[in-house]
Amino acid sequence: MQSECSKDPLSPLMLTMPVAMGYIPLGMVFGFLFVSAGGQWWAAIALSVLVFAGAAQYAAIPMMAAGMSMGAIALATAVINLRHVFYGLSLIDRFPRNGWYRWYMVFGLTDETYSVLTTLPKDTVPIKMLSVTALNHLWWIAGTALGALMGSQVKIPLVGLDFVLSCLFAVLMVEQWRNRLFSSPLWSAMLAYVAASLLSASHALDIAIGLCVLASFFVKHRQEHRVNV
Amino acid sequence: MSDLGYIFGVAIVMAVVTFGLRALPFVASRWLQSSSLVKRAGKFLPLAIMTLLVIHSVAGAAAGHSNGPWFEITAIALVILIQWFTKHTLFSMLAGTLAYVVLRNWIA
Repeated sequence: MQSECSKDPLSPLMLTMPVAMGYIPLGMVFGFLFVSAGGQWWAAIALSVLVFAGAAQYAAIPMMAAGMSMGAIALATAVINLRHVFYGLSLIDRFPRNGWYRWYMVFGLTDETYSVLTTLPKDTVPIKMLSVTALNHLWWIAGTALGALMGSQVKIPLVGLDFVLSCLFAVLMVEQWRNRLFSSPLWSAMLAYVAASLLSASHALDIAIGLCVLASFFVKHRQEHRVNV
Repeated sequence: MSDLGYIFGVAIVMAVVTFGLRALPFVASRWLQSSSLVKRAGKFLPLAIMTLLVIHSVAGAAAGHSNGPWFEITAIALVILIQWFTKHTLFSMLAGTLAYVVLRNWIA
């Protein structure tokens, strides 16, 4: 690291170390749960190579295990990853204009990659941003492969380990709540779920998501102000 | 989860949707910035969706044994408290999962 330019001393590898510490264990949990739910180890790896979206991949496990339609899974993926629409807005001017790597970097724009890339100086060379994206992708795939191979060898006799997913969702909910502009999504979601499970217990999640999309269009956000915590 | 066509179908559908969302600002930034529906949904949905995923996964876990949903509520409350005060994602998840595994295997 000493030999590199002093203005920008961290190598892509070092930049992605914190991400690796999250992606490898979380990828392992994904691979492990996917195989435990009855999936093939290589299918878990294929999903991590092709999709590269943590929360959506987690959500897909119970949906695929239940054999839900591709349309429902597509909708859930769209809804979970909707925030990614806004990530590119702050990186448009900094990404390379052309070439396959431009679109690979767009493909790899996860929460974590976005966080790392937006902290880099404005004049960062494209190859460095590309390396960060590729390394993050690699950590995610490596974690998935480890977990999937473990899952197909080891049978853990404890019940309740898959509750880690509920815990992940709870953590993400807390962070969304901390950064909320208004509180109505929480109450709307609770109401929507109650209403949806009365309508159809087996499609409660899909219906509730639909209701929340509708609610987001119609709920009047009075004075939108940032809540100070 | 063993039907090849289904697995690859799902993988491709998820890949296309995810890539489409990430690519949208690069192909339609002007339209996005001016669409108030997209803005509203973008602000409203993340918290709503996470809340739904928590409720749904808790409901699913609680249906699988006779002590639900009290074990689930206890563990989730623990995760929320720890995450709120420490902001340490992996630690919060680990504590919640550990509490839940202990409850399910040794308290029931």
